Amino acid sequence: MNLVDFSSDAFIAAFFLYCIAFMLYVISIAGRKWSNRDPVEHERKWSRIAFFFSSAGLAAHIVFFITRWIGSGQIPTSNMYEFLTFLGMAIMLAYTVIFFLYRKPLLGMFALPLTIIIVAYASVFPQEVQPLIPALKSIWLKIHVTFAALGEAFFAVGFAAGLMYLLRVIDFKDKSKSGRRAQFWVEFCLYSIMVVVGFIVAVFVFRGMGYEAQFTQEKVNIDAKGIATTLTETVHYTLPPIVQPYNSTVDHVGAFLNVNEPLFEAPSWMNGVNAGRKLNTVLWSIITGSLLYGLLRLLFRKPLGAVIHPALEGIDPDDLDEISYRAIAIGFPIFTLGALIFAMIWAEIAWGRFWGWDPKEVWALITWLFYSAYLHFRLSRGWQGLRSSWLAVIGFVIVLFTLVGVNLIIAGLHSYSGV
Amino acid sequence: MLVPENTKCECGHQNAVGTVLCESCGKPLLEELQKADTPLEMRYDGVARRSQKTNPSIIDRVWNFFSSVKIAIYLIIITFLTAMLGTIYPQENSFINNSEPWLYYEQTHGLPGKIYYALGLSRTYESWWFIGLLVMIGTSLVICSLDRVLPLYRALSKQQIRKHHQFLHRQKTVYRGEVEGNAGEWVDQFAAQLKRKGYTIHTDESGAAMLAEKNRFSRWGPYINHIGLILFLLAILARSIPGWQMDTYVTVPDGDTVEIQGTNYYVKSEKFTVDFYNDEELPDSLKGKPRPKNFETKAVLYQCVQDCSDPLKSPQLEEVTRHDIGVNSPLQYKGLKLFQFDFNLTPRLNAVHPVLVDKTTGDVYGPFDLPMKDSALVHKLGPFTLELYANYMEFALDSEGKPTTLSREPNAPAFVFTVKGPGLKPEGEPYMYFPMQKDKVRFSQDSINRALADRIEIRVDGMENVDFSEATTFLNVRMDKALSFLWVGGIISMIGLVMGTYWQHRRIWLRIDEGKLSLGAHSNKNFFGLRAEIAAALKKTGIEVEPKRLDNGGNNA
Repeated sequence: MNLVDFSSDAFIAAFFLYCIAFMLYVISIAGRKWSNRDPVEHERKWSRIAFFFSSAGLAAHIVFFITRWIGSGQIPTSNMYEFLTFLGMAIMLAYTVIFFLYRKPLLGMFALPLTIIIVAYASVFPQEVQPLIPALKSIWLKIHVTFAALGEAFFAVGFAAGLMYLLRVIDFKDKSKSGRRAQFWVEFCLYSIMVVVGFIVAVFVFRGMGYEAQFTQEKVNIDAKGIATTLTETVHYTLPPIVQPYNSTVDHVGAFLNVNEPLFEAPSWMNGVNAGRKLNTVLWSIITGSLLYGLLRLLFRKPLGAVIHPALEGIDPDDLDEISYRAIAIGFPIFTLGALIFAMIWAEIAWGRFWGWDPKEVWALITWLFYSAYLHFRLSRGWQGLRSSWLAVIGFVIVLFTLVGVNLIIAGLHSYSGV
Repeated sequence: MLVPENTKCECGHQNAVGTVLCESCGKPLLEELQKADTPLEMRYDGVARRSQKTNPSIIDRVWNFFSSVKIAIYLIIITFLTAMLGTIYPQENSFINNSEPWLYYEQTHGLPGKIYYALGLSRTYESWWFIGLLVMIGTSLVICSLDRVLPLYRALSKQQIRKHHQFLHRQKTVYRGEVEGNAGEWVDQFAAQLKRKGYTIHTDESGAAMLAEKNRFSRWGPYINHIGLILFLLAILARSIPGWQMDTYVTVPDGDTVEIQGTNYYVKSEKFTVDFYNDEELPDSLKGKPRPKNFETKAVLYQCVQDCSDPLKSPQLEEVTRHDIGVNSPLQYKGLKLFQFDFNLTPRLNAVHPVLVDKTTGDVYGPFDLPMKDSALVHKLGPFTLELYANYMEFALDSEGKPTTLSREPNAPAFVFTVKGPGLKPEGEPYMYFPMQKDKVRFSQDSINRALADRIEIRVDGMENVDFSEATTFLNVRMDKALSFLWVGGIISMIGLVMGTYWQHRRIWLRIDEGKLSLGAHSNKNFFGLRAEIAAALKKTGIEVEPKRLDNGGNNA
C-alpha cells in the first residue's frame, strides 16, 4: 500500500471522528436536561470528550494532508478536492485556536458540521492525484493557497459563531414584523445549508447506483475568416437529467423512476457546453435539499430554528458575538496576506501583472472589502450583536462564492480545478 | 451669532470646542451626557476632531464629508457592489485579439450582453466612475486618518492619572468595592500583578490613584495600515504616467532574433521546448490527454549598440543576459521582464537550399540559398540565371483567379522566377516554384509551368537542405516602475494591520477614596480578555469576582 492510499484511509478516519465529535457535542448540549445529573457538570464533561474526538479527527486530517503530500510529491492544494479538504482542515485549526483563546467548546457544535459538509462536498470532486501543470509549479502555490484558506477558515468560524448567535437570540415566539423577518432569514440560512447537503446526498446516491446519461451537443462556430466549423461535444450526466443541454441530442439516458428522457431543455442563453449539466445539478440540489428540509419539518413540526433555539439557552450570547468578531479579526490579516498580497506576488511572477481584474481576483477583493466594511461597522460605528452576526453570515456566503461559485459559474484564469 | 461654548471643565482644564470628555479628568462636558448613566463613548478618548468645527467653510465641508467613517463605509460598499457587476461577463481586456468586442457581447450573450456593453460594464475597472471611487476611498483614507490620529496622539501623550468618578463608573468595564487597610499598599500589590501582565503603571503622588496601560502602539496600527494603502493606491495611479509601464507581446520562432518594440532590446529564442506527462505519470481519467509538464524558451537578450534605427544597416547587437524562461521563471534585466505567454508547435519553413536540374543534359547546379523572406533578387547557377519576379508567403488565388497572399507567414510560400539560360527565350521564361511538396500538388506546379517544366526543375535534395523552426514561442514583455512602491505599500499596510488587530490597547484607571475602590477600564477592542485580566489580578489581591460581572454593558467592540 502506498502513501496516497494510506492518506485516503486517514481521511475517512478523520471524517468519522468529526461525525462522532459532532454527535457528542449535541449530547453535551441536549443532555443537560436529562434526569439525575448536574447540567453544568454534564456539559463540562461531555464537551471535553467531544473536543477530544474533534482533535483526534483533526490529527487524522493532518496525517492525511502530510502523507498525501509526501506520497504525491506535491502539496495537496492544487485541485478542488484537495483545496476543499484543506479548507476543512484549516477550519478545524481555526476552531482549535479560538478554543484555546476562549475555552468555549460548544462552538464545535456549529464548527464541526460546517467542516463535515465541506469535507463531504470535497469528496464529490475527483480524488486522484493530478500532476501539476507548469503554471502551478511554484513555491507560491504552497504559500498563497494555505494562507488564503486559513484566513477563510477563520471567517468560517466567525460565520459559525454568528449563526449560533442568531439562533440563540432570535425569539421564535416573536410575532412582530421584524421578528418574523429575522426568523425567516435564519430559517432561510438553514434551508440553504440543507440544499448544499442535498447536493452531496444526490451526488452520492446516484454515484452509488452507477447512474449515467450522455448527450451530444452541436455548436456552430464562425471564425474570423468566415468559415463555419461544427463542434461536437459530449456531455456526461451523473444525475438523472431533468434538463438536457441546449440544442443537444440524447445518446443514452439511464432509467430512473421509469422516466428515461429529460423533461426540459436548457434555455438558449445557457449555451455553454456544461451549462445544462450545471443547471440540472442545481435543480437536483434544490429538490433533494427541500425533501430533506421537509422531512425534518415533519419530524419536529416546527421551524428548524425553533428546534435549535431552546438547545442553545444558557450560552452567553455576548460571548458568541465576541468570538464571531474575534475570529474574523484574526482571519482578516491572514486573508489579506494570503489572498491578496501573496496572490499579487505570484501573479507578478507567473503572468507579469500583479493584478488583472480576473474574476477570482475581483472576488477576493470583494471579500476583503466586505470584511473591512464589517470591521469598520463594528469598531467605528458600534455595530454589534444581531447586525454584526448577520454580516458575518453574509460574509461567509461571499467567501464561498469566491472559492466555489467563481469556478462553477464564471471561471476565468483561475480554473485549474476542473469542477 | 453663535455663543462660544463653555468648554472649561470643573477641574480647571480648558478644552477645545467639540470635546466630549474633559481631556484632563475625563468628566463628560455636555450636560445631557452628565445626566445619563450609560457607558461613555470612549472613541478617540472623547477629544475634539478637526471636522467638529463650528462655522465650517467650503474646505471644511469637503473635509467633514471625507472624514466621516460612515461615508468611508458607504464608499467601500459601493465599490465592492460595482466590482461584482464587472464579473458577470468577461471584461474586454481579457481578450487578446478582439477588435470588435461589441459583436462578442451581442453574439455570445444576446440582449443582456448588448446592454452590458452599452452600459460600459465591459470596461468596469477602467471606467471613470470606478477609478473615481478608488480615488475617493484614497481621499477618505487620508482625511479620516489625519482627522483622528493627531487629536488621539495628543490625548494619549498627556494622560491624567486621577480621573473623575463619572468617568470611572461609566466605563464599559467597572469594578466598585471596599479595600481594607492601607490604600497605597493595596494599589502596589494590585499594580505588581498588572505589571506581570505587561502593563506600565503610573500612580499619582498620593499613591491612591493609578493608571495601568499596555500596548498603546496598537492604536497606531490602523493609521499605519492606511498609510500603506494610500501608498499602494498612489502606486497604482502612477502606473498611468507615460513610460512607467509597458505591456507588449513578441512572437519568436526558434532561432530568430526579434526586436522588442519601444525598447533598445532584441530577444532571441534558441529553442522552445514543451514536455508532456506520459501516461504512467497520469491518473486514469487523464491518460491519453496531453497534459503539459513544462514549457521553456531558451532566450537570449541583446542590446543594440550601433545602427539601431538605420533601416539600411542591420543593427549591431550585444548579448546582455540569457535565461531559460519558464512559466514561473521570467527573464529579468534592469526592470524589463519577459514572461512565457503561449506557444505554437506548427513548424515554420525558414529557408530551403534547392538545386536547379537541367533536364535535357542532366546537369545539376547549386544548391543555392533561398530564404522565405528577403531572398536575393538574382541567383546565378551555371549557365542559368534566376531573377525573382514575385514572392508569396501564403499563396492563394482570389475570386478573379489572380494570385494573392493570405498572410505574411510562410504557410504556403511560392516564388515566381524569370529564368534565363541556354535554349530559353532571351527575355527569360516564367517559372513558378513551391518549396513545399503539398503546395506543389495542390496548385499543380508542373501544369502552371507547362513546357518549361520539361526543360528544368528546381528541387530540394534531402532534409539537410531544409531549414525550419520547430516551434514558435510567444513572450509577454513587461515593465512596471511602480512595482517597488506597490510592495512597500503592501508591507506597511500589513504591518499596520497586524499591529492593530493582534494587540489591544488596554487601560485601567482606579482611585481609592476612604477605602472605596473605583476601577474603570477601557480597551479599544476585545473586552473579554480585559475583564479576564482584571479579574485574575483582583483575585490575587483577595477580591473574587467573575469576569462577566465586571461588564457594565454598552457596546463591547
